[in-house]
Amino acid sequence: MHKIKVRINGKDFEHEVEPRLLLVHYIREKARLTGTHVGCDTGNCGACTVLFNGDPVKSCMMIALQANGAQITTIEGLAGNGLHPVQEAFSERFAVQCGYCTPGMILSACSLLQSNPQPNEAEIREAIEGNLCMCTGYQQIVDAIAHAAQKAKGLERRKP
Amino acid sequence: MMKLEEILVTRNSVGKPVQRKEDVKFVMGKGAYVDDLDIDCHHAVILRSPFPHARILKIDTSKAEALDGVLAVVTGPEVAQQTKPVPPRAITKPARQYVMAAEKVRYVGEPVVAVAARDRYIAEDALELIHVEYEPLPPVVEIDDALRDDAPLIFEEAGSNVLLHDRLEHGNLEDAYKEADLIIKEQFRMHRYSSTPLEPWAIIAGHEKADDSFVVWANDQQPGRSTVNVCNALGISHYRLRFIVPDSGGGFGIKLALWPYIVFLCLLARKVDKPVKWIQTRTEHLLAGTHAPDAHVEVELAVKKDGKILALSMKDIENDGSFVHTSGIYGLIKFATLVGCYDIRATRAELMSVVTNKGPTVQNRGVGKPTMIFVIERMVDIVAKKLGLDPSEIRFRNFVRPEQMPYTTPSGEIYESGNYPECLRKALDLIHYEDWKKQKEERKKQGRYTGIGISAGIEPGTSNLGYYYTSRGVPEYMGNAEGAIVGMDYDGNVNVLLGSVDTGQGHVTTTAQVVADMLGISPDRVSMNTQLDSLISPFLGHSGAYSNKFNDVDLGAVIMATKKLRDKMFRIASHMLGLPEGELRLKDGKISAVKDEAKAVPFSEIASLAYKKILLLPEGVEPGLKEIAYYKNPVAKLPSKTDFNVQLTHSNSVHAAVVEVDAESGAVQFLKYVIVHDCGNQINPGIVEGMVIGSTVHGIGAALYEEFVYNEDGQLLSTTFMDYLKPLSIGLPRFELAHMESPCPYTLLGTKAVGEGGAIGSLAAVANAVEDALSPFGVRVRSLPITPEKVVRAIRETREI
Repeated sequence: MHKIKVRINGKDFEHEVEPRLLLVHYIREKARLTGTHVGCDTGNCGACTVLFNGDPVKSCMMIALQANGAQITTIEGLAGNGLHPVQEAFSERFAVQCGYCTPGMILSACSLLQSNPQPNEAEIREAIEGNLCMCTGYQQIVDAIAHAAQKAKGLERRKP
Repeated sequence: MMKLEEILVTRNSVGKPVQRKEDVKFVMGKGAYVDDLDIDCHHAVILRSPFPHARILKIDTSKAEALDGVLAVVTGPEVAQQTKPVPPRAITKPARQYVMAAEKVRYVGEPVVAVAARDRYIAEDALELIHVEYEPLPPVVEIDDALRDDAPLIFEEAGSNVLLHDRLEHGNLEDAYKEADLIIKEQFRMHRYSSTPLEPWAIIAGHEKADDSFVVWANDQQPGRSTVNVCNALGISHYRLRFIVPDSGGGFGIKLALWPYIVFLCLLARKVDKPVKWIQTRTEHLLAGTHAPDAHVEVELAVKKDGKILALSMKDIENDGSFVHTSGIYGLIKFATLVGCYDIRATRAELMSVVTNKGPTVQNRGVGKPTMIFVIERMVDIVAKKLGLDPSEIRFRNFVRPEQMPYTTPSGEIYESGNYPECLRKALDLIHYEDWKKQKEERKKQGRYTGIGISAGIEPGTSNLGYYYTSRGVPEYMGNAEGAIVGMDYDGNVNVLLGSVDTGQGHVTTTAQVVADMLGISPDRVSMNTQLDSLISPFLGHSGAYSNKFNDVDLGAVIMATKKLRDKMFRIASHMLGLPEGELRLKDGKISAVKDEAKAVPFSEIASLAYKKILLLPEGVEPGLKEIAYYKNPVAKLPSKTDFNVQLTHSNSVHAAVVEVDAESGAVQFLKYVIVHDCGNQINPGIVEGMVIGSTVHGIGAALYEEFVYNEDGQLLSTTFMDYLKPLSIGLPRFELAHMESPCPYTLLGTKAVGEGGAIGSLAAVANAVEDALSPFGVRVRSLPITPEKVVRAIRETREI
């Protein structure tokens, strides 16, 4: 057993963990943040995407020990006072059906918009290429991310 | 039947893209799927067969049981002793199978032992310590292997690997064949694929020691039938099983076969002191989480020179793998769309359900109809080419015409409404058909192989469950129905409980829209419990989310329960206001006098009488304000071989695709994709659009990427999402949609099925487009998926995909 200390959504967690414990299981079962999902076990589906020191990673592809000292944002850490604009946009554009891919998809989208605030459709599609959605066929998700970018632009413009 | 204007008193919500009420929890990561429930559990894992076909000689679990942290095991032979065999629905030959392999394993991945341990890592370790001695038997993998005279038998007691073999003829075939100018015959192959919900199967089974009862949490799509199957298999009374379905991460039919796992997890739970949780891995899901069967289909069309199709003959052989519960249904369900969108007066279908050592099959999105429409829509193109007709023209000449509606097919299926020619005309306009035909020739000169494909499909909804038994005789289930409870609380807000479950379809929102417009309030005032609980929710053997029944019987039950509630509210209001009910109306959360709006009682005051001031209620009115209703589809027929309807509503659509095929790499690229869709009246166009596109992408996945590949030894080669390729956000077209609304006369709101149509119509649209693009090479498309490798080989050598 090894001791790790992780900051998740601004809160410190400390646990003794087995070396083989996957990060996604740590997040779900030790930190009890169940918005991070498991869909494929092989790093293909992106349902377990979290922001790891700001970058999107697939948490089923890491062991918990690797997160010692890291800062992680999960879907539960995104909303402040009210929903994050990307969360709002997903709802406004019917980008959610069963909701299982949604947390990973939203975090991938947030990461894209951080580095590229006004992406075109091809850039959006490329950014979520590692996130599978079985329900929507992606079109409304792509539109939601474009809508979130537009909303952010609107907010910028309104600033004095 | 009630008229639309009697049902809806306002039209503020129905028909509008109301934002989904379920979304907030999902975007916040607060969905509560089975694995998220805060229940103190042990963890179960399953040892599965590494052989496709073998006798089990010995199982030794002693070392595993000795491992620290392991709490209990249950083995196949033990399960077989304590349970009843799996009940078949459609097959006619005897085939004895248990929910866990007992004497024989019949596919790679079949459960043999289940282990419960303190955590999932220890349970996985324990699997390594179990020793099973097998005597391998020769595997039977493909249809041709199963049909050989000397083929090993998968079920010895059946005496054959064909568990259902039936011939059904309808209409005057003899005359049709006599009148025909030519007979065109082709063979098609359909491959195995699955719609693979992103959340795999998940079950928690708890055992109450005090009264030997069970509580199960599972992401099951059809809890109605599953509770019956689980109780029967365990031999327990129904009150001893409480079945709860929380949020579910997609279904698409693939979550209809959890119940065998629930049975043996209940036996495991009986041995331990806490509930046991089993979360399926993706590899387990792909191996044993059920597929759509592969099939060989021979089709023959009897045709006049002008392109008029007079008769259709089909021989359908389905490789149903080795799950006898659902074997045979893929053949029979094709009768829902046997003639596609066409007026064909005579049909013959020979159906064979073949058992092999491939994995189990269940009702994947569209169930057999994707194959049927693929075959018909390919055939129509082939006939058109033979007769020198444009693919659109031959369709116009054969469509069931709007003035023929309701149209009864030779076998008894009733197409209730629709304008198929207009749907195709719209699609041709939207895709600029004539323009692309010209462009195609221009592009060919530049070595760019472009093709246009059209496909007209029927999307049946609401299964008449009796059809399963068409070949067996006496039906155990028939028709279709659902139940709902609608109640008003003290504040005048409404809560709904439904016997069905939601796997992503937005039932909460759609239900709220309908109830809101029935009571003249905002959908914000209507809530729905999405967690189904078999001891609380209204419940039937039909209950569940399958065969696109929501828009019909689920909403039917909601409407009838809301109407009962509304009628009672009027009786109470009439008494309170001293006015006859006929002089009252619903407005803004009140019941008021038509002539004088000042005379009004708000819902909360009506509720106050019903719940608290009960002595003020009018004579004969019971306290309380909560009503239950069950609603059954009114047109379901009893199954008979001469006249039966398989499904009870029929949406339709036309898919039109333009593709470019790279002759060097074999890659297929979309240039344009149009869908014109008719699902009758829409309740929420935002939700409908998402279902149509999502469903279409399932079809595109099946047409271009996805396949369960077995080698000749019966081993599945595509066991992760690295080998089983799903469509990604890149590589898909931007879908252009247009809608038509031909109301269904047999559903209360004029609605029809939505959700499966895209997965049905898209296969042939893609295949027809690819064959058109490759016509300079003479390549014929007779199978799917159209992978780059197959395209290149067809261009260079075989001329056939």
